[in-house]
Amino acid sequence: MIIDRSIKPEEKGKIEFQLPEIKKTKLQNGLNVIFVEKNNLPIVQFNFVADSGSKKDPVGKSGLNYLLSLLIDEGAGKYSALQLDDEVESIGSILRCQTDQESLSVSMLTLKEHLEKSLELLSLIVKEPRLTQDDFEREKHKQLTKIIQLQDDPEYIANSVFRKILFENSPYKSSSIGSYKDVENITHQDVLENYKRNFSPGTSTLIVVGNIEFNTILKLIEKQFTDWKAERTIEENQNVIKPKKRQFYIVHKNGSAQSEIRIGKISRGRTSDDFYARTLMNSILGGQFSSRINLNLREDKGFTYGAHSSYQYNKNGSAFIVSTGVESEHAGESVSEILKEIDGIRKFISKEELNFSKSYLIKRYPSMFETFSQVSSNLTLMTVYDLPLDYFNVYIDNIERTSLAEVEAAAKNDLLPEYISILVVGDKNIIKPQLERLTSQQIIELDMEGNII
Amino acid sequence: MKNILDIEYERLKLKNNLDVVLYQDKSLPIVAVNIWYKVGSSYEKPGKTGLAHLFEHMMFQGSEHVPKEMHFRYIQEAGGNLNGSTSIDRTNYYESVPATFLEMVLWLESDRMGFLLPALTQEKLDNQIGVVSNERRQNYENQPYGLAWEKLFAALYPKNHPYSWPTIGWMEDIQNYTLDDVKNFFNTFYSPQNASLVIGGQFDTEEAKELVKKYFEDIPNKKTLPELNVPDVQISGNKKVIYEDNVQLPRLYLAWLSDKGYGKDDASLDILADILTGTKNSRIYKSLIIDKQIAQDVAAFQYSAKINGSFIIVATPKPGIDLDTIKAEIFKEIENIIKNGLTAKEIRRSINAYKSSYVYSLQNLDALINQINDYTCFLNEPNSFVYDIGRYEKVTAENVKSVTEKYLSKNFVELNVIQKKDA
Repeated sequence: MIIDRSIKPEEKGKIEFQLPEIKKTKLQNGLNVIFVEKNNLPIVQFNFVADSGSKKDPVGKSGLNYLLSLLIDEGAGKYSALQLDDEVESIGSILRCQTDQESLSVSMLTLKEHLEKSLELLSLIVKEPRLTQDDFEREKHKQLTKIIQLQDDPEYIANSVFRKILFENSPYKSSSIGSYKDVENITHQDVLENYKRNFSPGTSTLIVVGNIEFNTILKLIEKQFTDWKAERTIEENQNVIKPKKRQFYIVHKNGSAQSEIRIGKISRGRTSDDFYARTLMNSILGGQFSSRINLNLREDKGFTYGAHSSYQYNKNGSAFIVSTGVESEHAGESVSEILKEIDGIRKFISKEELNFSKSYLIKRYPSMFETFSQVSSNLTLMTVYDLPLDYFNVYIDNIERTSLAEVEAAAKNDLLPEYISILVVGDKNIIKPQLERLTSQQIIELDMEGNII
Repeated sequence: MKNILDIEYERLKLKNNLDVVLYQDKSLPIVAVNIWYKVGSSYEKPGKTGLAHLFEHMMFQGSEHVPKEMHFRYIQEAGGNLNGSTSIDRTNYYESVPATFLEMVLWLESDRMGFLLPALTQEKLDNQIGVVSNERRQNYENQPYGLAWEKLFAALYPKNHPYSWPTIGWMEDIQNYTLDDVKNFFNTFYSPQNASLVIGGQFDTEEAKELVKKYFEDIPNKKTLPELNVPDVQISGNKKVIYEDNVQLPRLYLAWLSDKGYGKDDASLDILADILTGTKNSRIYKSLIIDKQIAQDVAAFQYSAKINGSFIIVATPKPGIDLDTIKAEIFKEIENIIKNGLTAKEIRRSINAYKSSYVYSLQNLDALINQINDYTCFLNEPNSFVYDIGRYEKVTAENVKSVTEKYLSKNFVELNVIQKKDA
């Protein structure tokens, strides 16, 4: 068969994709339940989300909620830490506890045949964690050692220092794991109080994605959770974060083979009216492989293994951040190319670029609902950001109807050069002279914790 | 009830001997394509290490009918995901797209299988040498302990053994490739007879067969494949390597030679690794991290590959604890198993964890058909999930005890990563 390979085959047929139906309810004690039925495998994924997270760490006690997430599954109800682990492992379930800026979550992936036992263990962890003094000492020591180890990780240093630059004086200024000095000061009592302050049914959500009917799972959830009575109210965080003036920063890391670059600024939240326009703009600028920044720095110059940009959201706002690791002798040129791309997108976006990004975001949509944990994390986003119940149904329409003018406006209004911060982590002797050629400003030198030297 | 792990598939061989497996799963309107070329870094020669991986990068740089950058763009514009990876034994390429784009993916994959060389240029090669050098800097040189693995394997295997160098290659080799190296590599290993293609997800079987024939059947085979020349390997006497790195805490690596992937003892060694460090109740984890609290982390695993395997234990001591202290505790636990064996409960717990992890692994189509391709290439049977789990279900406490003695009482290589003086 002779075929003409010079012609790209066209799309054939039409996709039929049904979004899963999302069910939402509330138990009598106030616990929110969000459910999606998914029947292709005998699996159930639970994710319990508490309105906690590192934004709730008291001043001087950064890392407190991280420590709670290490400690919360170290024994619960009648089970000691080792007994609890044994119970989970012997039914082949996977338990994970983690904290980010906005929430503390306990998730459990289980086979359907072990659903009841898994739910019982999950509820014990949430309602009756033991939080003993011995386990506290051990997990705190683990966290402190981890903080020491992170000093070796250039990406962590860049991320945490840049967070501190952008979010200065706000509850988002610390990385979740906290600083050594703060964690050292955390007492057992602090953890107990933090649990009491931040865990209650009325301020929590249980997400369930699985091969089971809604009424059946609801009865099982009621059985395990209705006796949970803790009460507290959500405190709204009204903190307004001010954008910072344009400034270059460096962190010296001796003998680095590469330099880590972070460039960005504070931006608006997820529910702002230009969310879709900014999403598309970011996709063109640095949000995917074929974006301007990656094609420039990787596929054209070969300076890096990869470069990308994203909006990193919190409940009230976001940070727009470009990040990459580059060969140190090209650090200055890489920074200047990224700044050029940021200026460039404020001047011109083509219709073709916009269509490409729309196509990319719309057509990949069904694949965002493939695994049980993907569906569960979509529902978690919905919970954490208070997104409307029809958010996923209208997403494609919202992307489709965003105009070129709106995307151009998003770039012009959001990526103001006078508010862009620039951080490079690497060997000072190599990178500082390069950066000095890019600015007449004094370059501020920070230590690995982001304090001015 | 039908066992969900007992999958249905169709398999065909094209006239050029390309192996093709079709696996339908209509739960989402997605189709995924996964190609294995049976070549990895173990087919390289000293002085030309990292070529298989660099070559993988060149496969994304366009081919005769696909301009530079367009391979990525076409897949992304269709809403798809794509990538490739290189291991010591094989190189794979995969993409998943909406079901309506199957033909385009087969066109792209066949174009680079058959028509890569006309589009190859020095400029593209120079650019990707830059990208791969930076990949090496980012993922190895600039990572704490990032060079430990290559130090460990260089000590475990003799210099002429194909598992003795890292997949990414030595930096000076990476920076010296020529266009001829790349062309020769393609002409030697990238033939239909050396590849295996799996299509999974939503598609019409007859239509898929026609499309595969249309795009792949006229691609000719090249040279006959060279035989892998593997020297015998054994460790004569325990070896200790010390390496200084920019790290706050030292780290201990222990490595023994062990059984190969799917070998007779492979599953027992996996279970042993889990029983040593896989859970809070596991032997070494409990001793080092819960009871004595002298280590920050510890992990054991059976790293099995086509030619042979290695059993590895890695541990980081707490500040102020030295490597010899944790090493002594690790050996105490190993000796305890050799002497007193294991409980049936420990074996049961571990087998259950393995069994459920197989069911969880079916969730993602890319991962699922990559596993099918693994079975196709290494076991010559795509439907091997049931067989594979069976290997674990059969493991007894006696098996685990005996493999512990058989492999872990032999000579070993020890790597100490220690803090550089000026760090």
